[in-house]
Amino acid sequence: MGLLDSETGKRRLLTVEIPVIEHYNEGRDPAYKIQVTRVGTALVLRYRLKPAHNVYLLETRLLSSYPTVPPETRVITPLKHCPHLLEGQLLCLWRQGSTREASRWDPAKFTSIFAIQAAWRWLACYELWHETGEWPLPEAK
Amino acid sequence: MDFRPLSELERRQLIGALRGNAEQGRVLLMDRRDTSFVGTAEEVPDEEVINAIKSVPCHY
Repeated sequence: MGLLDSETGKRRLLTVEIPVIEHYNEGRDPAYKIQVTRVGTALVLRYRLKPAHNVYLLETRLLSSYPTVPPETRVITPLKHCPHLLEGQLLCLWRQGSTREASRWDPAKFTSIFAIQAAWRWLACYELWHETGEWPLPEAK
Repeated sequence: MDFRPLSELERRQLIGALRGNAEQGRVLLMDRRDTSFVGTAEEVPDEEVINAIKSVPCHY
């Protein structure tokens, strides 16, 4: 299913993704609202997160194969190299490439907002790692 | 970016909150306006669910 070029994909956008993004943006300071743009066959969400004192600019890409394939989230703000950070400052969140049974991403349950919440928690861990050198959460089994 | 560190108290609070979230399912709450950490909760009202991080299924 193509997110932007199939009926199923468009229905997902109109009934699930766009409403939760609008809800997320309600009452939020303009600098922290999600901005949505189309880049080729992907939908790109740009937003800022501030788990503690530092503000990070991020980008979450919903590829054409989304939601079957989990969203990709990268931090645009330069970071120090740390655990759970892949090439291009892509966040290692969903155990990508594993089977559906083993995957921690469930397209029936989660939306793009879950990706943003996951990124927030990742950045909170990063803030602590930056100071202590220890990632504060264990890797899930 | 000039990294602004947490105070000792803030660091302890954030570590406790992240571990409570991972181990006991406690909710992490984001500020509605600027997404900053505002605390934890056992449960969260429906209208605040968009700002509450409960069971994000990350693998770290």
